[in-house]
Amino acid sequence: MAKMRLQGVSFAYGTQPALKEVSLDLHPGVFYGIVGPNGAGKSTLLKVLNRFLIPQKGSVFLNERDLGTYSLKELAREIGVIPQRSQYFPSTVEEVVLLGRAPYSYRFQRPSGRDMEIAKRAMEAAGVLSFASHLVNELSGGERQRVTLARVLAQDTEVLLLDEPTAHLDLEHRIRTARLVQKKAREGVSCAAVLHDLNLVSNYCDYIYVLSRGELVAEGNPEEVFTPDLIQKVYNVSVPTLKHPQTGRPLIIL
Amino acid sequence: MKGPLRFVGVLLLLAAAALGAAAVGSVTIPPGRIPAIICSALPGLKNLVKSAWPQVERVIILQVRLPRILLALFVGGGLSVSGVLFQGTLRNPLADPYLIGVSAGASLGAALGLLFLIPRGLAGFGFLPFFALGGALAAAFAVSRLGRRRGRLEPTALILAGVAISAVLTALVSLLMVLRIQNLQDVYLWLMGSLSGRGWAHFTLAAPYILAGLGAALYLAQDLNVYLLGEEAAHSLGIDVHKLQRNVLVVGSLLAAACVAVTGVIGFVGLMVPHALRFVVGAEHKRLILNSFWVGALFLLLADTLARTVFSPLELPVGIITAFVGGPFFIYLMKRGSGFYG
Repeated sequence: MAKMRLQGVSFAYGTQPALKEVSLDLHPGVFYGIVGPNGAGKSTLLKVLNRFLIPQKGSVFLNERDLGTYSLKELAREIGVIPQRSQYFPSTVEEVVLLGRAPYSYRFQRPSGRDMEIAKRAMEAAGVLSFASHLVNELSGGERQRVTLARVLAQDTEVLLLDEPTAHLDLEHRIRTARLVQKKAREGVSCAAVLHDLNLVSNYCDYIYVLSRGELVAEGNPEEVFTPDLIQKVYNVSVPTLKHPQTGRPLIIL
Repeated sequence: MKGPLRFVGVLLLLAAAALGAAAVGSVTIPPGRIPAIICSALPGLKNLVKSAWPQVERVIILQVRLPRILLALFVGGGLSVSGVLFQGTLRNPLADPYLIGVSAGASLGAALGLLFLIPRGLAGFGFLPFFALGGALAAAFAVSRLGRRRGRLEPTALILAGVAISAVLTALVSLLMVLRIQNLQDVYLWLMGSLSGRGWAHFTLAAPYILAGLGAALYLAQDLNVYLLGEEAAHSLGIDVHKLQRNVLVVGSLLAAACVAVTGVIGFVGLMVPHALRFVVGAEHKRLILNSFWVGALFLLLADTLARTVFSPLELPVGIITAFVGGPFFIYLMKRGSGFYG
């Protein structure tokens, strides 16, 4: 059974279409890569999956139940999101990560011991525990991004939607983040990440959806999708590909 | 310091400031006498103190200075919390009731009330906050409508809309004043923002709204903390973003309106106090709201005490003092570049 399902979804900002008749599934335990050129509709797709945007046409299902029938709080316990842009403000890393527990708490309730424990584990996994008491607005771009990752891990959801979670990260943390998401997928979480680094996608994602101008133009595992032909067609550049010496996955030479 | 201990400390500080403020003025009253005078007016305590003071001092304390001090405390607190709310939802350090046009809306509402209804005996004084609130809400909604791009609040657009709406509303207030010339003096003094001549009637009018607004602000605090992460993140954590924005605009407008209705437009308190406190206590909203309330209260009390003593017997509108402190503070904020919401 698919964890999430998009059926014939179209979305337009005003008169400008962003998604056209997109149908796709997200299964438990799979790390999906969502790729495509700028303006292809990747971020819009994640926002529709999270009900931040309501499509004009088509349906979205979570656990085979229409997404619109969930309360926002129920949704927040099912789907965790790293948006493309986050805001930072003078709160400590720990306070921000604890906000990930908000869907489980009631008003005026202090975080429980269990919340603290989950937040601590999330901070450890995202590598931010060592500066838990620092103010987030004083951290570097990459550190902030890992705080956001810790926050979404603390939310403890069965679906993770990540919009460019590695954009400001150095090599080490880019790979660490990809491995972390891969590990969540192995634990049964449905993970979908918008990524621009095609080699990262090729090496870590199990299944790839390729969007172009709002349409789903290709899907499949890395070997099926990352061919010179498809890259030429979608990105309008000609690049050679190689095989990764260890994993055998396609490598794109820039 | 532990919570309750800190609370007592804050109360003592406010009480000391109030005592000092009650002592100074055109007639200086020995501070030691003031608690006894206040006790003499309280039902359970009046037999405990011997009246050993001139009657005129009792009148000055109980009828003039005490209500004015309490009003300064509540209005200062109310304006500051209103500023916290607007800055929190609009994610803009410039947002305060004054700059986004809510104060101008409240003054137009209140001016309409003052100019047309009261001379005709159609409305008692008690209706004034409703007029102010109506004006404040209308302005808040107009500004939040105009400040949207693609359905999302856009901080820059919002401030520009606030400035434009403020200009139109202020012009309307001026027009009303010119058309109804006989009340010009009253309205003009009131618009300058002053606590001069305010008594128990004003205090009892505004205080319930301000306390209700404080309670509502604390109720929204946790959602506002999540909202700080950005609209999309807040949505993904179960917050109905539009509902929250609407609730915050209503509560912030209520607070600003209650204050404007009794004291006129006092600028910069709602801007400065929350801003300065974010440096000290951080962005967590429950802490920020509670601390802004007492610091704003203390600030306005000090400003008002200065306003009525510095050129005594001439009284300055307190808005002049807050603007003198606020203007430079504003320039300082501009220059250091506020990285809070970036």
